[in-house]
Amino acid sequence: MYVFQCENSLDGILTGVYDAWDSRLGHKNIQLSSDSCGEILLFHEYITVIPDLEKSQKVSRTLICRLGISFFEVICKCAMADGNCRKLTMDKANAVYQAIVMALALPEGAKVLEYLAEPCISCIFELCRQTNNEAHYMIEFLRFAELENGVLFSMIHPKNNVLPIVAEHFTDRFPLENFLLYDATHQIAAVHKASKHYMIVDAKDLNLDIINRYSQEEQEYRKLWKTFFETIAIEERINSKLQSHNIPKRYWRDTVELKSKLTRH
Amino acid sequence: MNYAADNQNLITNVYKNSAPAVSLSPTVMEKLKILTDAAKYDVACTSSGVDRGGDGTGIGNAKSCGICHTFAADGRCVSLLKILFTNECVFNCSYCQNNCTNDIPRATFTPEEICTLTIEFYRRNYIEGLFLSSGIIESPTYTMGLIYQAIYKLRTFYRFQGYIHVKAIPGADPVLIEKVGFLADRMSVNLELPTSDALKKLAPCKSRRTILTPMRQIQNGITENKNELMLYRKAPKFVPAGQSTQMIIGATPENDFQIMSVAEGLYQKFGLKRVFYSAFINVNQNPGLPALSSPPPLLREHRLYQADWLLRYYHFTVDELLSEDKPNFNIYLDPKCDWALRHLEYFPVEIGTADYKTLLRVPGIGAKSAKRIVKARRGSTLDFPDLKKIGVVLKRALYFITCSGRMMYPTKLDEDYICRSLLNDSSQIPREIREQGYRQLSLFDDVSFAAPGGNPLRCRERS
Repeated sequence: MYVFQCENSLDGILTGVYDAWDSRLGHKNIQLSSDSCGEILLFHEYITVIPDLEKSQKVSRTLICRLGISFFEVICKCAMADGNCRKLTMDKANAVYQAIVMALALPEGAKVLEYLAEPCISCIFELCRQTNNEAHYMIEFLRFAELENGVLFSMIHPKNNVLPIVAEHFTDRFPLENFLLYDATHQIAAVHKASKHYMIVDAKDLNLDIINRYSQEEQEYRKLWKTFFETIAIEERINSKLQSHNIPKRYWRDTVELKSKLTRH
Repeated sequence: MNYAADNQNLITNVYKNSAPAVSLSPTVMEKLKILTDAAKYDVACTSSGVDRGGDGTGIGNAKSCGICHTFAADGRCVSLLKILFTNECVFNCSYCQNNCTNDIPRATFTPEEICTLTIEFYRRNYIEGLFLSSGIIESPTYTMGLIYQAIYKLRTFYRFQGYIHVKAIPGADPVLIEKVGFLADRMSVNLELPTSDALKKLAPCKSRRTILTPMRQIQNGITENKNELMLYRKAPKFVPAGQSTQMIIGATPENDFQIMSVAEGLYQKFGLKRVFYSAFINVNQNPGLPALSSPPPLLREHRLYQADWLLRYYHFTVDELLSEDKPNFNIYLDPKCDWALRHLEYFPVEIGTADYKTLLRVPGIGAKSAKRIVKARRGSTLDFPDLKKIGVVLKRALYFITCSGRMMYPTKLDEDYICRSLLNDSSQIPREIREQGYRQLSLFDDVSFAAPGGNPLRCRERS
């Protein structure tokens, strides 16, 4: 068995797919792994994959052209997912590879995504669901604050790398705003300038002082919002279990209205 | 804290520099508190039903799945800025806290204040849009006119393309209702109470006729608009997210069968998108109504929502779920389980061959998992672990299905046996009953049962 160890990113995984295919070792004898610190097995040969933009783009083009854009989107969403989940029975990169091998062997390849009884497909389904769900949570629960210079700023802590999906949503929603979406988990940021498309940038050296310099009105609107939030609840129906079921506690810290309600340890 | 000064800031906000035409007392903060409190009993807060991208010249878009932005302490979703235009109401409906005979603080927003609040909350991603209802100030037409002014300004001056839900005020000029319909995404007229007798008793200023007239008008408007859109794609859209309504549950003695029949009628004859049910809370301590001390009938509300889902997505009819002889829902079992237990002749269902509609009838299989099953079985034969991954709730479904002719483990296809097995798992029993110790109860329908706490009212589904 040959194991191609690739970087945990879309380019890394797709380069892995390219190299694995190109090796002509036979699909049955190949596994991909995106987990660099997994245990080393006997009788396995390990091959390190160096991410290569050109190879990754070749694979992307093939996927889009042979299997369609929505298949490719699913693969992207898998790559964005965190991948460390007990529910998963397979490595993320390996599931992607197996699914691609399967899809390209069939006349209507993109349909394989519906065959949920296949282990690699059910794994892809789960990864994709993780990404979609968290992206949706972010779109629901992130809050912007208006800074002194009128820029809207938001800090999020997603487990999966969902920033591009979230930024896409807000670019459509706020075309005339300047906004900065900062993903503190992955230390990247989406920067949007009014009437332009957004850009994802490395934010390791983001100056976090800026987020404390709010505009004059910011505190006022936060107060108004908290007042609204407190008033809208019906006392006779109070149900904190249902509340934290619907908005999981890990998202509370980035909201305005629930942040203060987190019990401190 | 000097609210007057802050208020000035608020209104002359940087976003758009327009002069406020308002007196500053009471402050926006006070108004917001009063008019939110006055609107909170209205249930419909969904932002679903319309997909609209931003056009790049303003602010906002809309997603048909709906987006909840937070959940209040009662667990209900907060999606829209749900406020009344005014609570200075001239009507005296006895279930409503804005009743003109009540001694409560009163306030009225200006259109400008509503626009500023909506835009500033929306920019901060607090809300998905505006839900604007109102008490009746002066006359229904006058009130509708004020609402129109507010949302006209929001749509044109602020170029707001987010979600707007507006209440049509019964008795208002039809011309105004039509104008509002071309600006709003969803409109609703509250049915308030399931029967016209109850309405006469509790809301003497309203009548079935004045409520149904605007409802019919909106329905006809939507139908005409659909035809127009077929001819001319860019025609302005009229109430694109459809129309909804709500009924108060438990204030009057109607049974579940009557309520569900009314709902079914509304879906079929008025083409409604949603009917909402609101567990009655006696805010006015009105002696003619159920006492304030009795908790709101939340489990009953929950069962009605479950049944409502069965009507809209599972091809059930009310006659299948309830009848004159059995007019109320079971408290232990959800309506679908209850139906399945009374119709064991349809089961077990073979997962490999059953058609979509048959799969939908199996307890534990939802619309999404049924669709997935139908597609997935083309690839390979499905077994129980696969079903679990697909999203089927096996602990309910296992009594009713076979995979390749096999049951998950040997069970009897017997009503008592399945019922007992289902209820043995305490997670399948509603929380209200669990907490009260259900063995002591002698009455088994949801009308005779009232319990503390609440049950989920979901307005969006996750994949």
